[in-house]
Amino acid sequence: MGIISFILIGSSLAFPAVALYALWWAGREGQLRHHDKAALLPFDQEEPLGQMTDVVLNRSSFPKQTLTNKA
Amino acid sequence: MAALSPWDSNLGQSNRAQLAEIDASCRGSVLLFFLSGMLWLLAGTVLALLASYKLHAPGFLGDAAWLTFGRIRTAHLNAVIYGFSAEVAVGVILWLMCRLCRVPLMAQSLINSAAVLWNIGLVIGIVGILAGDTTGVEYLELPKYCTPILFLSFALIAVWTIVIFRFRREKHLYVSQWYILAAVLWFPWLYSTAQLLLVMDPARGAVQAAVNWWYGHNVLGLWFTPVGLASIYYFLPKVIGRPIHSYYLSVLGFWTLALFYNWNGFHHLVGGPFPAWMITISIVASVMMIIPVVATAINHHFTMIGHFGKLKYSPTLRFIVFGAMSYTVSSLQGVLSAVRWFSETAHFTHHTVAHAHWGMYAFFTMTMFGSMYYILPRITQREWPSERLISLHFWCTAVGIILYVAPLSWGGWLQGKAMLDAQIPFLEVVKVTLPYLKLRTVTGVILAVGHVAFFANICWLLVRTFGPYRQPEPMILAGVQPQTAPVGK
Repeated sequence: MGIISFILIGSSLAFPAVALYALWWAGREGQLRHHDKAALLPFDQEEPLGQMTDVVLNRSSFPKQTLTNKA
Repeated sequence: MAALSPWDSNLGQSNRAQLAEIDASCRGSVLLFFLSGMLWLLAGTVLALLASYKLHAPGFLGDAAWLTFGRIRTAHLNAVIYGFSAEVAVGVILWLMCRLCRVPLMAQSLINSAAVLWNIGLVIGIVGILAGDTTGVEYLELPKYCTPILFLSFALIAVWTIVIFRFRREKHLYVSQWYILAAVLWFPWLYSTAQLLLVMDPARGAVQAAVNWWYGHNVLGLWFTPVGLASIYYFLPKVIGRPIHSYYLSVLGFWTLALFYNWNGFHHLVGGPFPAWMITISIVASVMMIIPVVATAINHHFTMIGHFGKLKYSPTLRFIVFGAMSYTVSSLQGVLSAVRWFSETAHFTHHTVAHAHWGMYAFFTMTMFGSMYYILPRITQREWPSERLISLHFWCTAVGIILYVAPLSWGGWLQGKAMLDAQIPFLEVVKVTLPYLKLRTVTGVILAVGHVAFFANICWLLVRTFGPYRQPEPMILAGVQPQTAPVGK
């Protein structure tokens, strides 16, 4: 077998091993639990839950008193 | 409300300052990837229009070898796949990872070098294709003297994405990070394996076709699809201000995609000289893809319920929702296309071309457009200059791609039926497809108008940011909370 065969077989074995390690790691670190907490990760104080971001179009028809100026 | 945010206690500085620092750190590198990606999109669009026109007017520009259909069409595919799609995807990956890991982008010069290397490799490759140096392997047509440059560039990007992840301040992963990390590991593996087996030291006989479709299908499903889904899972909740309907379903969708997608490519070889079990297992895995697709579709739809009115205000949301819906439709169409009786008619026809555009354009490209609409104002600290150009971009691309894929899918089906009928001469089969091919050119022009509108808006935004008359302006990008009545209810 040439070196390319070794590379291909090696990577074919290594790749599922990495996937299995990732799954084991995720279980050990609690990444597969605490789903309520994980779902909130995109939000923060600046762009919190309950607030729409990215109001770009048709601003005149959006409730004006609620727009926050981020100068 | 802010107390619901799980990682506020970890912050050592004000939230606004931290976001500003992250966005500023990403500015140069992300802009470099976005701008070069957009230039590749425009080049790819011109090549696409030429190739499409040649399908119903084959003599057009037929005297110059480098303008012949085989080269123009191949150059188009590689310009939009490895130029636009891959580069914009990397820009989105970098910004999303920095935002979700809560760390600024480090060593930007390294990432910038990777972007320059990628573009150098691609220019060499596309020129090589136009000069007739294609490898002839679908999705891997770039000549082999440019692929080491591309591999080195992507290796840098992949390593740096993992470095960002390693130094993350937020320990819990969001589902978008799962998709991104998997994508940056999957792509180099797919690319290097296929290069070794098809270009550097080609396998013999029918194995080549098997490896080719393993790569061709997986580069769409295990590289572009995860990046598109990562974007949808981030931007959909972020824009409407509501968490994803079921985080559990999103994780289920990720792991089932990882488990089933890798087997799918061989369904393109129905009827080919392969062991029956090989094709059958691929069809079974393709049908099993219903699990992640339906899980994702349920999640996206139930997240949006009650918030569709917000589409009126956010360009990001418009493109992302369009992309999410297209993901469901194109994936279910893909499941159907894998089934033997359907494939026997539809494969080797324009139906496959329509399906590829449904996935790569209606889903992935629209999702990337939506992501860019969100990211660019934040990294440049400027508002989008023209609402009209945004609307023109959205309607041209949305209407254009629907008019492209729906009729062409039907035309491809009719083409397949005609090809299976031994009584119909081949020239008559070609004539069956002509109306659909002409419509395809018209829709290509509509899509091109949308691309030019988007590019013009980006250039205008950059002139406002870096031009001689730049001036600070108020930003109304975030923190929009309806206090009187919920928007879209």
